[in-house]
Amino acid sequence: MSETTRAGASRSPFPALLIALLGVLVTVALDMALLWWAALIIGVVLAFAAVVLVDRRMPEVGRAGAAGTKEEGTTLHRTLVVPTALVLSVVSGLLSAWFLDLSLIEPVAAAVGAFVGSAVAFLLYRRLSAMLALSFAAVFAAGIIAIAVTALVLLLSGIAPGATFARMMEYGTRPNSLVQIINDGTTYYLAAVAVAIGFKMKLFNIGVDGQYRLAALMAAAVGGHFVLPPVLSQIVMIVVAVAVGGAWAGIAGYLKVARGVSEVISTIMLNAVATGITAYLLNTNRLAVEISTNNIGTPPLPEGSWVPGIPAGFLGSEREIFGLVLLAIGVGVGYAVMLNRTRFGFELRATGQSQSAAEASGVNVKKMVFLSMLFSGMVAGLVGMPQLLGSSHYYALDFPTGIGFIGIAIALLGRNHPVGIAFAALFWAFLNQASGILPFDGIPQEIAVIAQATIVLTVVVVYEVVHRWGRRYQQQQIGKELGTTVAGPVETETTVPAGTASDSGDAPSGDDTPGEAGTRGGEAK
Amino acid sequence: MSSTPSGEEGQAPPAVELRGITKRFPGVVANHDINISVAPGTVHAIVGENGAGKSTLMKTLYGMHRPDEGTIHVKGREVRFSSPSDAIKNGIGMVHQHFMLADNLTVLENVVLGAERLHGIGNRAAARIRDLSGQYGLGVDPDRLMEDLGVGDRQRVEILKVLYRGARTIILDEPTAVLVPQEVDELFDNLRELKREGLTVIFISHKLDEVLSVADEITVIRRGTTVATADPSTTTARELATLMVGGELPVPELRESTVTDRTVLSLDGVTVHSGDGRAVIDGVTLDIHEGEIVGIAGVEGNGQSELIEAIMGMRSVASGRIHLGDDDITGWHTLKIREAGVGYIPEDRHRHGVLLESSLWENRILGHQTKPPSVRGPWIDKAGARADAERIVAEYDVRTPNIDVIADALSGGNQQKFIIGREMSGDPRFLVAAHPTRGVDVGAQSAIWEQLREARAAGLAVLLISADLDELIGMSDTLHVILRGRLVAQADPTSVTPEQLGSAMTGAGLHGDEGTDITEGDSGDDTADRNGGGA
Repeated sequence: MSETTRAGASRSPFPALLIALLGVLVTVALDMALLWWAALIIGVVLAFAAVVLVDRRMPEVGRAGAAGTKEEGTTLHRTLVVPTALVLSVVSGLLSAWFLDLSLIEPVAAAVGAFVGSAVAFLLYRRLSAMLALSFAAVFAAGIIAIAVTALVLLLSGIAPGATFARMMEYGTRPNSLVQIINDGTTYYLAAVAVAIGFKMKLFNIGVDGQYRLAALMAAAVGGHFVLPPVLSQIVMIVVAVAVGGAWAGIAGYLKVARGVSEVISTIMLNAVATGITAYLLNTNRLAVEISTNNIGTPPLPEGSWVPGIPAGFLGSEREIFGLVLLAIGVGVGYAVMLNRTRFGFELRATGQSQSAAEASGVNVKKMVFLSMLFSGMVAGLVGMPQLLGSSHYYALDFPTGIGFIGIAIALLGRNHPVGIAFAALFWAFLNQASGILPFDGIPQEIAVIAQATIVLTVVVVYEVVHRWGRRYQQQQIGKELGTTVAGPVETETTVPAGTASDSGDAPSGDDTPGEAGTRGGEAK
Repeated sequence: MSSTPSGEEGQAPPAVELRGITKRFPGVVANHDINISVAPGTVHAIVGENGAGKSTLMKTLYGMHRPDEGTIHVKGREVRFSSPSDAIKNGIGMVHQHFMLADNLTVLENVVLGAERLHGIGNRAAARIRDLSGQYGLGVDPDRLMEDLGVGDRQRVEILKVLYRGARTIILDEPTAVLVPQEVDELFDNLRELKREGLTVIFISHKLDEVLSVADEITVIRRGTTVATADPSTTTARELATLMVGGELPVPELRESTVTDRTVLSLDGVTVHSGDGRAVIDGVTLDIHEGEIVGIAGVEGNGQSELIEAIMGMRSVASGRIHLGDDDITGWHTLKIREAGVGYIPEDRHRHGVLLESSLWENRILGHQTKPPSVRGPWIDKAGARADAERIVAEYDVRTPNIDVIADALSGGNQQKFIIGREMSGDPRFLVAAHPTRGVDVGAQSAIWEQLREARAAGLAVLLISADLDELIGMSDTLHVILRGRLVAQADPTSVTPEQLGSAMTGAGLHGDEGTDITEGDSGDDTADRNGGGA
């Protein structure tokens, strides 16, 4: 089966190009008469239809999803995978056209957008697996529920939801807002990756907040007090931050391994301790100097120790994107590689899925707990760096706090997936930024917090429901495919109790706590 | 077939009658056109191999799910159950294979739990329990603490729980799986007592000789449907087996001996303590040679798990040494022991053997995460792991569409075959096989036995632990009996009977066998038994 897939993939470029061309031509032609986005939607939909037609004509091209079962023609495939693929291709076409529109002229942007959309249509129709489609569908459903709840809250408060959403949309997509969203998103992303490393092990690092604050203070103090040559200075500060964050989380890891202290308790307490230490050190007698009349902080970094920003001219903004966005991307790539390609990542996931199985397989669970806590803290140490090196240049009383808790919510929203977290972080930052306009219209800004909290809760719940359903579905599909109409499934039936028992042992605890964390994230805001 | 339209010719209608029951799970038919009529005051056995649809059917009858087609009649009246409590109201109770009892409560408390409204929770309830116990000859004392009771007693408490709730028809799901032969006889005496008192018993099993000895009527289920109804007095086990699997039942047996004198694993006075300092393994000395399968018989919870975990380095050894070949592996980490060539088929595959939510090829890496072909240095070798997973699927006949499906999607037997394939790869010197055929169907069972035989012929040393006495006797070159953490007897697998083995397992001595009689007393309520109930 994998052979045919490979053959299909290698044969694909030619028809893909044709179909993409079709989408582009239709879009360009319609662009004369219609609005660009309407033209693009029609173009991509037509391209998608062409893909479907072509695919029907070449049935020998096998297609293997993640499940590997033959999904073509099943009800699930018809009712879910195809529509999801269609929606995703249209959305990706629209998004890329809109994004390009910021720097290119409109007809070109629309054409390129149509190209992207059609290409995605081709890819997705062939390759989108039922399980992935289910995940997307879950996120869509959760998004709709969250919007509905938010709209309901607005209605009950006597505010028109439509106008509010339109206003947020408009403000949130202004060039300056986009830069702000990317910058906030960078910080959130690092925090969420730090949390996700723990989550993958079923470890709850609530202490990201304390870890990054302490790390940022120490790094700022080192950078402010010792003037080092450029480049070296930045490297030293980042190393200090990583070391401090790791050490602070390492305490919780050590306590867990050596004394069996729950990391939830110890990290919460270490947060409080970190707050105390920061308050003690941030004093003019110790690390701090007076920055302005009513603000004290570490001595400002010399300009040679800053990380230059990236000009955001291509977004049409005068402002700059944090240079350390590249660091965040690097951390994301590193996280993905570590998780999926290394032995360490395998042992981490194995331990997270089943500690007993990991132990029986020779994984040193205690070592894994300690190391993952340490790594989580090391990434947490980086959280304050984009802000410190890219914008504020000193650690003062007004340094942003509470990002660690936001990180928990975002990690949940992104399902601990390196790419998922990136989208979740940007989305979170978008809501924060877009709601900034609301007070000017007399609408409470807290609406964004409600939306954030609702979406975390719905995503966690809907995703879990869909995931379980999908798993059952997959089992049944396999039973059917193997032709063991009775023996297969019934056997599953008899063996499943143990599975579900262990499942319901882990899953609810995994579910409930995230729910709380979601609200906690909201409260922290 | 017994699908005569209700029991008009007899004076009493059937206690329970299932007509045309079909249960579909989306895309699959688990039960198809099942017709069973259970006469009142009889023991009716339902037999079929693992995965034939017995459990699905009983869940339907007990109201745990609804049938898609067909009707259930109780005493001639059609009923619809939407939950087990509906079934109980209609006098149908079920005793599950795994006991649902709280160890730290008394018998009385366990029985009244959830049924407090019937007779309160005090003396009235205790009196009722004594009545029932006396009436049906169960011998249950309401004031005993549950943790002091043995497996057989626990089962009687479960039966009493059902009776206390007013059941007139009792479903027993594989009741003998956890019992040694002597306890099975006691259970059957209890069942005859229940029958004499006019109760109806539905008895689910796949052990044919037991069924033949206790049942009044037998219904055979194969591939989700009723294939025959048999009269035990005129049917032989062989005929039943043929009906059950559509062929011959596989027999566990070894051919010529391949035992050599080269010791692979040697335990020398190994003692293991539990968390509270009790010795759960007490001075076990054992040698396993190349090409030898050493079987360990024992009631569950007598130290088998601890013995395995000690050998695998998952549990620290208090005293004694373990040698693998020339290496002293006492105190080695699990990973190092595995790297030294030890394979491990765990007793609970879901807890210790697989990552249910990971794909098969990822499961191929599990336990072998430091060795090629799955790993290259610190990196996962995805191509290598996938290729080797493909090999296992092909060689061990794992029925799966491909190696990307998650392990949870496979049936238990196929998961087990995959685990065995994985543990046999990399040419192990020594294999720990705990319950290698538990919960797998007949086809997989004979395949697994064949693989063990082949590996043994190739010089593998195996420690076999099983609750299936036939398997132990058939597959072992040497057979030891473990009781309360001690090896109390050695039996000759060519001559020992399951009954002799059973009495040795309960500490009653292994009569007429090599003179290795047991010196300990024969108290039934040992602490070890209590683990058996919870397991």
